[in-house]
Amino acid sequence: MRFAATVGLALLFLSIEAVVTRQLGLEVTRLDVTLALVVFLGLRAATLEGAFAAFAIGYLLDVFTGRPTGLYPFLAVLTFLLTRMLSSFVDARARALFALLCGASALVHGLLAAFFSWLTSTASGGTIISLTGLPLQALLCAVAAALLWPLLRKLDPAYERPQAGMLR
Amino acid sequence: MLSLFKRYRELLIVGTLLLYPLINYLSSGHKGREPNLADRVVLAISSPLQRGLTSVIEGSKGGLDGYVALRGARAERDQCVADLSAARADLNAMREAKAENERLRAALGYTETTVEPELAARVIGVNASPHYISLRINRGEGDGVRVGMPVLTHDGVVGQVSRFVVGGTADVMLITDPSSRLGAIVQRTRVRATAVGAGGGAPLKLDNVLREDDVVDGDVLITSGTDGLFPKGLVIGRVQKVEREANAMFLKAQVLPSVDLRKVEEVLLLPSTLALAPLHGEVKK
Repeated sequence: MRFAATVGLALLFLSIEAVVTRQLGLEVTRLDVTLALVVFLGLRAATLEGAFAAFAIGYLLDVFTGRPTGLYPFLAVLTFLLTRMLSSFVDARARALFALLCGASALVHGLLAAFFSWLTSTASGGTIISLTGLPLQALLCAVAAALLWPLLRKLDPAYERPQAGMLR
Repeated sequence: MLSLFKRYRELLIVGTLLLYPLINYLSSGHKGREPNLADRVVLAISSPLQRGLTSVIEGSKGGLDGYVALRGARAERDQCVADLSAARADLNAMREAKAENERLRAALGYTETTVEPELAARVIGVNASPHYISLRINRGEGDGVRVGMPVLTHDGVVGQVSRFVVGGTADVMLITDPSSRLGAIVQRTRVRATAVGAGGGAPLKLDNVLREDDVVDGDVLITSGTDGLFPKGLVIGRVQKVEREANAMFLKAQVLPSVDLRKVEEVLLLPSTLALAPLHGEVKK
Protein backbone atom coordinates (compact mmCIF):
# COMPACT_ATOMS: atom_id res chain seq x y z
CA MET A 1 0.00 0.00 0.00
CA ARG A 2 2.84 2.40 0.91
CA PHE A 3 4.68 1.34 -2.21
CA ALA A 4 1.55 1.98 -4.29
CA ALA A 5 1.04 5.38 -2.64
CA THR A 6 4.63 6.42 -3.42
CA VAL A 7 4.42 5.24 -7.03
CA GLY A 8 1.00 6.88 -7.44
CA LEU A 9 2.42 10.14 -6.11
CA ALA A 10 5.35 9.88 -8.54
CA LEU A 11 2.96 9.32 -11.45
CA LEU A 12 0.93 12.34 -10.38
CA PHE A 13 4.08 14.48 -10.04
CA LEU A 14 5.38 13.44 -13.45
CA SER A 15 2.05 14.19 -15.14
CA ILE A 16 1.91 17.62 -13.51
CA GLU A 17 5.58 18.24 -14.28
CA ALA A 18 5.09 17.47 -17.98
CA VAL A 19 2.31 20.07 -18.22
CA VAL A 20 3.87 22.70 -15.97
CA THR A 21 7.25 22.43 -17.71
CA ARG A 22 5.55 23.18 -21.02
CA GLN A 23 3.52 26.04 -19.58
CA LEU A 24 6.66 27.64 -18.14
CA GLY A 25 8.65 27.05 -21.33
CA LEU A 26 11.36 25.06 -19.54
CA GLU A 27 11.87 22.27 -22.08
CA VAL A 28 15.63 22.50 -21.74
CA THR A 29 15.53 21.77 -18.04
CA ARG A 30 13.21 19.99 -15.61
CA LEU A 31 11.66 20.44 -12.21
CA ASP A 32 12.74 16.95 -11.12
CA VAL A 33 10.11 16.53 -8.40
CA THR A 34 10.41 12.75 -8.48
CA LEU A 35 14.01 13.04 -7.38
CA ALA A 36 12.75 14.62 -4.16
CA LEU A 37 10.68 11.47 -3.63
CA VAL A 38 13.72 9.24 -4.19
CA VAL A 39 15.82 11.29 -1.77
CA PHE A 40 13.01 11.13 0.77
CA LEU A 41 12.92 7.35 0.36
CA GLY A 42 16.67 7.25 0.92
CA LEU A 43 16.25 9.12 4.18
CA ARG A 44 13.20 7.33 5.52
CA ALA A 45 12.38 4.02 3.85
CA ALA A 46 13.63 0.52 4.60
CA THR A 47 16.22 -0.72 2.12
CA LEU A 48 14.14 -3.24 0.21
CA GLU A 49 10.93 -1.27 0.06
CA GLY A 50 12.80 1.93 -0.78
CA ALA A 51 14.84 0.25 -3.52
CA PHE A 52 11.69 -1.16 -5.14
CA ALA A 53 9.93 2.21 -4.89
CA ALA A 54 12.99 4.02 -6.32
CA PHE A 55 13.14 1.51 -9.17
CA ALA A 56 9.44 2.06 -9.90
CA ILE A 57 9.88 5.84 -9.86
CA GLY A 58 12.84 5.53 -12.22
CA TYR A 59 10.78 3.28 -14.48
CA LEU A 60 7.99 5.89 -14.62
CA LEU A 61 10.52 8.58 -15.46
CA ASP A 62 11.94 6.33 -18.16
CA VAL A 63 8.51 5.76 -19.68
CA PHE A 64 7.74 9.49 -19.61
CA THR A 65 10.90 10.24 -21.60
CA GLY A 66 9.25 8.56 -24.59
CA ARG A 67 12.04 6.05 -25.15
CA PRO A 68 12.50 3.69 -22.21
CA THR A 69 16.15 2.77 -21.96
CA GLY A 70 16.69 1.61 -18.37
CA LEU A 71 18.90 4.58 -17.53
CA TYR A 72 16.51 6.26 -15.11
CA PRO A 73 15.61 3.16 -13.04
CA PHE A 74 19.35 2.60 -12.56
CA LEU A 75 19.97 6.23 -11.59
CA ALA A 76 16.97 6.28 -9.23
CA VAL A 77 18.15 3.16 -7.36
CA LEU A 78 21.70 4.54 -7.29
CA THR A 79 20.47 7.89 -5.93
CA PHE A 80 18.41 6.02 -3.33
CA LEU A 81 21.43 4.02 -2.19
CA LEU A 82 23.73 7.06 -2.12
CA THR A 83 21.18 9.03 -0.09
CA ARG A 84 20.72 6.09 2.23
CA MET A 85 24.47 5.90 2.72
CA LEU A 86 24.64 9.64 3.33
CA SER A 87 21.76 9.50 5.81
CA SER A 88 23.98 7.48 8.12
CA PHE A 89 26.10 10.62 8.52
CA VAL A 90 23.59 13.44 7.97
CA ASP A 91 20.23 13.66 9.66
CA ALA A 92 18.22 15.72 7.15
CA ARG A 93 15.08 16.33 9.17
CA ALA A 94 14.96 20.08 8.51
CA ARG A 95 13.28 21.43 5.38
CA ALA A 96 16.30 23.49 4.27
CA LEU A 97 18.70 20.56 4.61
CA PHE A 98 16.35 18.28 2.70
CA ALA A 99 16.05 20.88 -0.08
CA LEU A 100 19.83 21.22 -0.20
CA LEU A 101 20.23 17.46 -0.41
CA CYS A 102 17.69 17.28 -3.25
CA GLY A 103 19.49 20.06 -5.14
CA ALA A 104 22.81 18.24 -4.78
CA SER A 105 21.18 14.96 -5.86
CA ALA A 106 19.75 16.67 -8.94
CA LEU A 107 23.26 17.82 -9.87
CA VAL A 108 24.75 14.35 -9.46
CA HIS A 109 21.76 12.74 -11.20
CA GLY A 110 22.03 15.15 -14.15
CA LEU A 111 25.78 14.66 -14.49
CA LEU A 112 25.44 10.88 -14.40
CA ALA A 113 22.59 10.96 -16.93
CA ALA A 114 24.72 13.11 -19.25
CA PHE A 115 27.74 10.85 -18.78
CA PHE A 116 25.87 7.63 -19.56
CA SER A 117 24.06 9.24 -22.51
CA TRP A 118 27.44 10.35 -23.88
CA LEU A 119 28.91 6.90 -23.20
CA THR A 120 26.27 5.09 -25.24
CA SER A 121 26.09 7.66 -28.01
CA THR A 122 29.82 7.56 -28.84
CA ALA A 123 29.14 4.79 -31.35
CA SER A 124 26.69 7.01 -33.22
CA GLY A 125 28.74 10.18 -33.37
CA GLY A 126 29.18 11.00 -29.69
CA THR A 127 26.48 13.55 -29.05
CA ILE A 128 27.57 15.73 -26.15
CA ILE A 129 24.60 16.73 -24.08
CA SER A 130 24.42 20.33 -22.99
CA LEU A 131 24.68 20.76 -19.23
CA THR A 132 23.76 24.43 -19.24
CA GLY A 133 20.32 23.71 -17.81
CA LEU A 134 21.68 21.63 -14.93
CA PRO A 135 22.23 24.40 -12.32
CA LEU A 136 18.69 25.66 -12.92
CA GLN A 137 17.42 22.09 -12.72
CA ALA A 138 19.16 21.60 -9.35
CA LEU A 139 17.77 24.89 -8.07
CA LEU A 140 14.23 24.04 -9.20
CA CYS A 141 14.55 20.60 -7.63
CA ALA A 142 15.61 22.16 -4.33
CA VAL A 143 12.69 24.62 -4.45
CA ALA A 144 10.25 21.83 -5.33
CA ALA A 145 11.63 19.69 -2.49
CA ALA A 146 11.17 22.54 -0.01
CA LEU A 147 7.57 23.02 -1.20
CA LEU A 148 6.84 19.29 -1.07
CA TRP A 149 8.35 18.85 2.37
CA PRO A 150 5.04 19.18 4.31
CA LEU A 151 3.37 16.62 2.01
CA LEU A 152 6.27 14.21 2.30
CA ARG A 153 6.27 14.62 6.07
CA LYS A 154 2.75 13.21 6.03
CA LEU A 155 4.24 10.05 4.52
CA ASP A 156 6.80 10.04 7.29
CA PRO A 157 4.97 7.73 9.73
CA ALA A 158 4.46 5.27 6.91
CA TYR A 159 8.18 5.00 6.34
CA GLU A 160 9.86 4.07 9.55
CA ARG A 161 13.39 3.01 8.90
CA PRO A 162 14.02 0.02 11.15
CA GLN A 163 17.81 0.10 11.35
CA ALA A 164 20.60 2.37 10.39
CA GLY A 165 23.18 1.25 7.87
CA MET A 166 23.08 0.56 4.23
CA LEU A 167 22.09 -3.04 3.63
CA ARG A 168 20.96 -4.47 6.88
CA MET B 1 22.61 -22.49 -1.10
CA LEU B 2 19.17 -21.50 0.12
CA SER B 3 20.58 -20.28 3.41
CA LEU B 4 23.16 -18.26 1.52
CA PHE B 5 20.39 -16.67 -0.54
CA LYS B 6 18.39 -15.94 2.60
CA ARG B 7 21.41 -14.38 4.22
CA TYR B 8 22.19 -12.10 1.30
CA ARG B 9 18.61 -11.78 0.02
CA GLU B 10 18.45 -8.00 0.46
CA LEU B 11 21.84 -7.43 -1.13
CA LEU B 12 20.96 -9.64 -4.09
CA ILE B 13 17.60 -8.00 -4.71
CA VAL B 14 18.95 -4.46 -4.43
CA GLY B 15 21.92 -5.40 -6.62
CA THR B 16 19.57 -6.77 -9.25
CA LEU B 17 17.40 -3.65 -9.14
CA LEU B 18 20.54 -1.57 -9.66
CA LEU B 19 22.37 -3.63 -12.26
CA TYR B 20 19.54 -5.00 -14.41
CA PRO B 21 18.50 -1.59 -15.83
CA LEU B 22 22.17 -0.56 -16.21
CA ILE B 23 23.05 -3.66 -18.22
CA ASN B 24 19.86 -3.19 -20.22
CA TYR B 25 20.79 0.41 -20.94
CA LEU B 26 24.40 -0.30 -21.87
CA SER B 27 23.40 -3.17 -24.16
CA SER B 28 20.52 -1.42 -25.91
CA GLY B 29 22.24 1.98 -26.08
CA HIS B 30 20.57 5.37 -25.95
CA LYS B 31 18.01 4.56 -28.63
CA GLY B 32 15.72 2.75 -26.19
CA ARG B 33 12.91 0.39 -26.98
CA GLU B 34 9.35 0.69 -28.18
CA PRO B 35 6.85 1.04 -25.31
CA ASN B 36 5.39 -2.30 -24.19
CA LEU B 37 1.98 -2.97 -22.69
CA ALA B 38 2.99 -1.85 -19.19
CA ASP B 39 4.46 1.39 -20.55
CA ARG B 40 1.28 2.04 -22.50
CA VAL B 41 -0.88 1.49 -19.42
CA VAL B 42 1.22 4.02 -17.47
CA LEU B 43 0.94 6.57 -20.26
CA ALA B 44 -2.77 5.90 -20.68
CA ILE B 45 -3.29 6.70 -17.00
CA SER B 46 -1.32 9.93 -17.23
CA SER B 47 -2.78 11.21 -20.53
CA PRO B 48 -6.25 12.20 -19.24
CA LEU B 49 -4.63 13.94 -16.29
CA GLN B 50 -2.35 15.91 -18.60
CA ARG B 51 -5.27 16.85 -20.83
CA GLY B 52 -7.31 18.01 -17.83
CA LEU B 53 -4.45 20.05 -16.39
CA THR B 54 -3.71 21.65 -19.75
CA SER B 55 -7.37 22.61 -20.18
CA VAL B 56 -7.57 24.12 -16.69
CA ILE B 57 -4.32 26.10 -17.01
CA GLU B 58 -4.96 27.32 -20.54
CA GLY B 59 -8.59 28.13 -19.74
CA SER B 60 -7.56 30.28 -16.78
CA LYS B 61 -4.73 31.86 -18.75
CA GLY B 62 -7.05 32.56 -21.68
CA GLY B 63 -9.60 34.23 -19.41
CA LEU B 64 -6.96 36.39 -17.79
CA ASP B 65 -5.31 37.25 -21.11
CA GLY B 66 -8.70 38.13 -22.58
CA TYR B 67 -9.39 40.55 -19.76
CA VAL B 68 -5.95 42.16 -19.97
CA ALA B 69 -6.12 42.34 -23.76
CA LEU B 70 -9.22 44.55 -23.63
CA ARG B 71 -7.02 47.48 -22.58
CA GLY B 72 -5.42 47.88 -25.99
CA ALA B 73 -8.25 46.33 -27.98
CA ARG B 74 -9.33 49.46 -29.86
CA ALA B 75 -5.86 50.37 -31.12
CA GLU B 76 -5.26 46.75 -31.98
CA ARG B 77 -8.55 46.59 -33.91
CA ASP B 78 -7.58 49.61 -36.01
CA GLN B 79 -4.21 48.01 -36.73
CA CYS B 80 -5.92 44.73 -37.67
CA VAL B 81 -8.26 46.51 -40.09
CA ALA B 82 -5.27 48.13 -41.79
CA ASP B 83 -3.40 44.82 -41.91
CA LEU B 84 -6.46 43.04 -43.26
CA SER B 85 -6.79 45.56 -46.04
CA ALA B 86 -3.14 45.02 -47.03
CA ALA B 87 -3.54 41.25 -46.76
CA ARG B 88 -6.61 41.35 -49.04
CA ALA B 89 -4.59 43.18 -51.66
CA ASP B 90 -1.82 40.54 -51.38
CA LEU B 91 -4.40 37.75 -51.54
CA ASN B 92 -5.85 39.17 -54.69
CA ALA B 93 -2.42 39.29 -56.29
CA MET B 94 -1.77 35.71 -55.18
CA ARG B 95 -5.08 34.53 -56.63
CA GLU B 96 -4.06 36.02 -59.93
CA ALA B 97 -0.70 34.27 -59.70
CA LYS B 98 -2.40 30.99 -58.75
CA ALA B 99 -4.77 31.22 -61.69
CA GLU B 100 -1.84 31.89 -64.00
CA ASN B 101 0.07 28.99 -62.43
CA GLU B 102 -2.88 26.64 -63.01
CA ARG B 103 -3.15 27.76 -66.62
CA LEU B 104 0.54 27.11 -67.15
CA ARG B 105 0.33 23.72 -65.40
CA ALA B 106 -2.59 22.76 -67.59
CA ALA B 107 -0.65 23.87 -70.64
CA LEU B 108 2.31 21.71 -69.57
CA GLY B 109 0.09 18.70 -68.83
CA TYR B 110 0.59 18.61 -65.04
CA THR B 111 -2.17 17.09 -62.95
CA GLU B 112 -2.85 18.42 -59.45
CA THR B 113 -2.45 15.76 -56.76
CA THR B 114 -5.15 15.48 -54.12
CA VAL B 115 -3.91 16.52 -50.70
CA GLU B 116 -5.68 15.45 -47.54
CA PRO B 117 -6.56 18.21 -45.08
CA GLU B 118 -4.04 19.08 -42.38
CA LEU B 119 -4.82 17.89 -38.89
CA ALA B 120 -4.68 20.44 -36.08
CA ALA B 121 -3.54 19.31 -32.65
CA ARG B 122 -2.84 20.84 -29.30
CA VAL B 123 0.33 20.24 -27.29
CA ILE B 124 -0.65 18.78 -23.92
CA GLY B 125 2.77 18.00 -22.46
CA VAL B 126 6.49 17.65 -22.89
CA ASN B 127 8.46 14.58 -21.92
CA ALA B 128 10.40 14.53 -18.72
CA SER B 129 13.89 14.15 -20.10
CA PRO B 130 16.01 17.10 -21.18
CA HIS B 131 18.04 14.81 -23.44
CA TYR B 132 15.39 13.24 -25.64
CA ILE B 133 12.98 16.05 -26.22
CA SER B 134 9.48 15.33 -27.48
CA LEU B 135 6.01 16.84 -27.21
CA ARG B 136 2.73 15.07 -26.54
CA ILE B 137 -0.27 16.09 -28.64
CA ASN B 138 -3.97 15.45 -28.16
CA ARG B 139 -4.43 13.51 -31.40
CA GLY B 140 -3.74 9.85 -31.87
CA GLU B 141 -4.16 6.90 -34.15
CA GLY B 142 -7.96 7.21 -34.10
CA ASP B 143 -7.74 10.73 -35.53
CA GLY B 144 -5.76 9.55 -38.52
CA VAL B 145 -2.32 10.29 -37.10
CA ARG B 146 0.46 8.06 -38.42
CA VAL B 147 4.02 7.51 -37.23
CA GLY B 148 6.33 9.66 -39.32
CA MET B 149 3.77 12.38 -40.08
CA PRO B 150 5.43 15.80 -40.42
CA VAL B 151 4.44 18.24 -37.68
CA LEU B 152 4.64 21.99 -38.22
CA THR B 153 3.28 25.38 -37.31
CA HIS B 154 2.76 28.36 -39.56
CA ASP B 155 6.33 29.41 -38.75
CA GLY B 156 7.96 26.19 -39.91
CA VAL B 157 8.88 22.60 -39.10
CA VAL B 158 8.42 21.28 -35.53
CA GLY B 159 9.24 17.58 -35.92
CA GLN B 160 7.56 14.29 -36.73
CA VAL B 161 5.20 11.89 -34.99
CA SER B 162 7.38 9.30 -33.28
CA ARG B 163 4.79 7.05 -31.61
CA PHE B 164 1.23 6.69 -30.36
CA VAL B 165 0.13 6.60 -26.77
CA VAL B 166 -3.03 4.86 -25.63
CA GLY B 167 -5.78 7.40 -24.98
CA GLY B 168 -5.82 9.27 -28.29
CA THR B 169 -2.49 11.02 -27.95
CA ALA B 170 0.81 10.83 -29.79
CA ASP B 171 4.40 11.88 -29.19
CA VAL B 172 6.24 14.22 -31.54
CA MET B 173 10.01 14.03 -31.88
CA LEU B 174 11.34 17.58 -32.28
CA ILE B 175 13.81 18.54 -34.98
CA THR B 176 16.29 19.40 -32.21
CA ASP B 177 16.30 15.78 -31.00
CA PRO B 178 19.69 14.09 -31.55
CA SER B 179 17.98 11.39 -33.67
CA SER B 180 16.42 13.91 -36.05
CA ARG B 181 17.81 14.29 -39.60
CA LEU B 182 16.18 16.55 -42.20
CA GLY B 183 16.94 16.84 -45.88
CA ALA B 184 17.35 20.58 -46.50
CA ILE B 185 18.11 23.24 -49.10
CA VAL B 186 19.49 26.72 -48.61
CA GLN B 187 16.67 28.81 -50.07
CA ARG B 188 18.89 31.49 -51.63
CA THR B 189 21.47 29.32 -53.35
CA ARG B 190 19.68 25.89 -53.51
CA VAL B 191 22.68 24.23 -51.84
CA ARG B 192 21.69 20.83 -50.44
CA ALA B 193 22.37 20.00 -46.79
CA THR B 194 21.27 17.91 -43.83
CA ALA B 195 19.91 19.56 -40.68
CA VAL B 196 20.83 17.39 -37.70
CA GLY B 197 19.39 17.73 -34.19
CA ALA B 198 21.97 18.49 -31.51
CA GLY B 199 19.82 17.74 -28.44
CA GLY B 200 19.59 19.64 -25.19
CA GLY B 201 17.63 22.49 -26.80
CA ALA B 202 20.68 23.56 -28.83
CA PRO B 203 20.37 24.81 -32.44
CA LEU B 204 20.56 22.22 -35.21
CA LYS B 205 23.84 21.39 -36.94
CA LEU B 206 24.25 21.84 -40.68
CA ASP B 207 25.88 18.78 -42.21
CA ASN B 208 27.09 17.70 -45.63
CA VAL B 209 27.76 21.20 -46.98
CA LEU B 210 31.04 21.60 -48.82
CA ARG B 211 33.40 24.31 -47.62
CA GLU B 212 33.21 26.18 -50.93
CA ASP B 213 29.39 26.13 -51.11
CA ASP B 214 27.64 29.49 -50.95
CA VAL B 215 26.14 29.60 -47.46
CA VAL B 216 26.24 32.68 -45.24
CA ASP B 217 24.81 33.71 -41.87
CA GLY B 218 21.13 34.52 -42.10
CA ASP B 219 20.35 32.20 -45.02
CA VAL B 220 16.94 30.56 -44.77
CA LEU B 221 16.96 26.77 -44.74
CA ILE B 222 13.96 24.91 -46.15
CA THR B 223 13.08 21.22 -46.44
CA SER B 224 14.30 19.59 -49.63
CA GLY B 225 11.63 16.88 -49.81
CA THR B 226 14.33 14.27 -50.34
CA ASP B 227 14.07 12.60 -46.93
CA GLY B 228 10.81 10.89 -47.81
CA LEU B 229 8.85 12.48 -44.97
CA PHE B 230 8.76 16.25 -45.22
CA PRO B 231 7.40 17.89 -48.35
CA LYS B 232 9.63 20.39 -50.10
CA GLY B 233 9.65 24.07 -49.13
CA LEU B 234 8.85 24.10 -45.40
CA VAL B 235 10.96 26.55 -43.44
CA ILE B 236 13.38 24.87 -41.00
CA GLY B 237 15.25 27.91 -39.74
CA ARG B 238 18.08 30.38 -40.31
CA VAL B 239 21.74 29.52 -40.76
CA GLN B 240 24.11 31.07 -38.24
CA LYS B 241 27.75 30.82 -37.11
CA VAL B 242 29.13 29.58 -40.44
CA GLU B 243 32.73 28.44 -39.99
CA ARG B 244 35.11 27.35 -42.75
CA GLU B 245 38.17 25.61 -41.39
CA ALA B 246 41.27 25.66 -43.60
CA ASN B 247 41.72 21.91 -43.98
CA ALA B 248 38.14 20.71 -43.61
CA MET B 249 36.10 19.36 -46.48
CA PHE B 250 32.77 20.48 -45.05
CA LEU B 251 31.85 23.76 -43.40
CA LYS B 252 30.40 23.99 -39.91
CA ALA B 253 27.23 25.93 -39.18
CA GLN B 254 24.23 26.04 -36.90
CA VAL B 255 20.57 26.34 -37.79
CA LEU B 256 18.29 28.29 -35.48
CA PRO B 257 14.79 26.76 -35.82
CA SER B 258 12.18 29.18 -37.16
CA VAL B 259 9.69 27.82 -34.63
CA ASP B 260 10.25 28.63 -30.96
CA LEU B 261 9.97 25.02 -29.84
CA ARG B 262 9.72 26.03 -26.20
CA LYS B 263 6.45 27.83 -26.83
CA VAL B 264 4.61 25.63 -29.30
CA GLU B 265 0.95 25.33 -28.32
CA GLU B 266 -0.87 24.25 -31.45
CA VAL B 267 0.57 22.26 -34.33
CA LEU B 268 -0.51 21.02 -37.72
CA LEU B 269 0.04 17.44 -38.82
CA LEU B 270 0.67 17.10 -42.48
CA PRO B 271 -0.64 13.96 -44.16
CA SER B 272 2.22 12.29 -45.89
CA THR B 273 1.79 9.41 -48.26
CA LEU B 274 5.19 8.22 -47.18
CA ALA B 275 4.32 8.18 -43.47
CA LEU B 276 4.60 4.78 -41.84
CA ALA B 277 1.69 2.51 -41.01
CA PRO B 278 0.17 2.45 -37.48
CA LEU B 279 2.61 1.21 -34.89
CA HIS B 280 0.46 -1.55 -33.46
CA GLY B 281 -2.50 -1.61 -35.79
CA GLU B 282 -3.23 -3.24 -39.10
CA VAL B 283 -2.16 -1.61 -42.31
CA LYS B 284 -5.29 -0.21 -43.91
CA LYS B 285 -5.72 -1.15 -47.52
